Amino acid sequence: MTWLMYRLTPGGFLWLMVNEVRLATRAARQRRGGNTIWAILIAVYTAAGFWLASNLVGVPIPPAPLALNLILAVCVLAASFMTTQAMLRSQDTLYLAGDLDLLLTAPMPPRRVLLAKLCGIATNIVFVFAAFTLPVAIPVALLGHPGLFGVPLLLLALAMVSACLGLAITLLVVRIASPRTARTIAQIVGAFLGAGVFLGSQFLSAGPGRESAGRALLDWLMRHNFGGEGIASLPGRAALGDMPAMVAVVGGAMLVFAGAGALLGRVFLASYQKAPARLTRSRGKAKGGIAGHFRKGLFATMFAKEARLLRRDPQLAFTIVLRLIYLVPIALPAFTHGRGPPLLPALAFASVLIAGQLVGSLAWLTVSGEDSPDLIAVAPVEKSAAERAKLAAALLIAAPFALVLPLAIALVSLPAALIALAMTGACGLAAGLVELKFQRPGPRKAFGNRRQGSFLVGLLTFLMTGVLGAGAGYLVWLAT
Amino acid sequence: MSEAALEIQGLSKSFDKQVVANLDLKVRPGELYALLGPNGAGKTTTLRMAVGLTRPESGSVHIFGIDALADPLGAKRLTAWLPDEPMLYDKLTPGEYLGFVAGLWRIPPGEAAPEAERLLRWLELWEQRDTPCEGFSRGMKQKVALAGALIHRPRLLILDEPLTGLDANMARSVKDALRAQVDEGAGVIVTTHILEVAERLADRIGIIAEGRLLAEGTLAELRARAGSDALTLEDAFIRLTRTGE
Repeated sequence: MTWLMYRLTPGGFLWLMVNEVRLATRAARQRRGGNTIWAILIAVYTAAGFWLASNLVGVPIPPAPLALNLILAVCVLAASFMTTQAMLRSQDTLYLAGDLDLLLTAPMPPRRVLLAKLCGIATNIVFVFAAFTLPVAIPVALLGHPGLFGVPLLLLALAMVSACLGLAITLLVVRIASPRTARTIAQIVGAFLGAGVFLGSQFLSAGPGRESAGRALLDWLMRHNFGGEGIASLPGRAALGDMPAMVAVVGGAMLVFAGAGALLGRVFLASYQKAPARLTRSRGKAKGGIAGHFRKGLFATMFAKEARLLRRDPQLAFTIVLRLIYLVPIALPAFTHGRGPPLLPALAFASVLIAGQLVGSLAWLTVSGEDSPDLIAVAPVEKSAAERAKLAAALLIAAPFALVLPLAIALVSLPAALIALAMTGACGLAAGLVELKFQRPGPRKAFGNRRQGSFLVGLLTFLMTGVLGAGAGYLVWLAT
Repeated sequence: MSEAALEIQGLSKSFDKQVVANLDLKVRPGELYALLGPNGAGKTTTLRMAVGLTRPESGSVHIFGIDALADPLGAKRLTAWLPDEPMLYDKLTPGEYLGFVAGLWRIPPGEAAPEAERLLRWLELWEQRDTPCEGFSRGMKQKVALAGALIHRPRLLILDEPLTGLDANMARSVKDALRAQVDEGAGVIVTTHILEVAERLADRIGIIAEGRLLAEGTLAELRARAGSDALTLEDAFIRLTRTGE
């Protein structure tokens, strides 16, 4: 994109916008893995798109109620994800990027900077959606369905509106609370959206009707026909090439964009000017002594530190909880009125899996995710002793959560509960030891990508929890 | 004769190329030794080998007579390491951080807590004792790390560029802290790019380039070695590192 910048007026809106888009594209590529992986993925996906397109040649795609409702539902979901992503990117832009000092001291109006930044945010959040939509939509559009060229326009409009909405919400939350709160809210809402969609589909699939979740959703939309007519039908009609709808959608997005520039410019500037003062967590005036911070013994010292670090990082704690939420469907088949597996073995199985996941995550944080490894390395403490203390801290933090399902089983059968408890403990310990033995160290903020560091650890943990979980289920089944 | 606070003999290390080559160096108790050298001279690698963070290929490191390679824990008990990037946890407060460091060095809470309070007051961090370090300036973080280095009353302090990025007041605090440690009999070895600091603060200065000790001595001795008593340390440093004498 650098070549394009050479052809534009330096300092102008377009020049600035292209710069932001260039930065956003590079950042998105870096965050989501290497160029090669993306290139292969998109090539395969595009090939699939052409295969689909060749099969659809001559098949009409009319703006039927089914298609319009489906597109509306996808748009609402995509816009929700995009907005939460836009909140995170807005926060990065305001408080982490570090280039606003340069831009706001350059001889250009702040509104231009804001609009260019919004373009960057929009590019950033549209990246994944575009990568998964356009390789299919464009081939189909090229091979006989030119109306589908409306899909990229619809995506662009969605991203622009979501970027404006995300920035507006961020500025509002920052004004009311703090940048930190804005970030936490965005992450939690984003996570809940993902988990909500996943759990909703799983509940529907496991429900009495056992129907396909997608089918149920479609039936529901069709019954109410929300996207079939009126303004709500605009996204669907725009995506399928209806010109007035395309003009309305893109024009509306541009209006929102221009309106955001006009309305948010001053708030944006004020928020940025206050940023240095508001990024720090304020705890009021210090009072009292510090004697309570000093512990006797290595384990107590490690435990206090790890518990504090986890408690003060709600985003990290929430990420761990979220991974547990994704394990809930494992136990769902047991609640299918006798048509699924028996209840207690299924709960024992779930308990072992949850313990493995939880202790594995916490052990990674305590053992591998050490932000000051040199401090531990220069301390007069054996490496193995420090690691054992950290693993023990992880086990102790996980223990209350790992006890929940065995206690629930105890309400029905004490022997089964004891078996589940023993296997849960064994799995937790084994998961911790695997982390201890094989995982590569890294900063805590790399928690989300920790499995990229070692395929072996992921595979080992998966196999181990599977075998121990199945064993727990079998033993509980024998005992009951 | 008393034991050296730090005695390095024949220390060598190479990564892609030789970084430290057969280096000998001695720091006495009650002495502040400044290790100077151009970028990439091997200063940080030398210090990291001294504190046990990097394994040397050959040579020995003794800290108050303890063989640091054979008995690393014994050597670490006497040593504090302060790198240029403070070893902190952003989400811990200074009080909590000192509690953690004291626990690692197994200082009884009854001894560590009053010492921590004294250090925090002395370094003007007492009012911030309950504020997480993440919002601190670089200078404040460096002071918290310094408090962490001093909480276990080390007999040898090893510091890598401790004054980088500090303002004049902060730098003065750190320099005072180092001088106080030296006056109490500790050995201090420090790398710095600020030659004025070495000139004013150091009892002896070592100049290192390409992993070799080019010259060592008091400021007067270095001037004489460089060829003129009227030279500043900067002049002597440039002359010695250029000629490689």
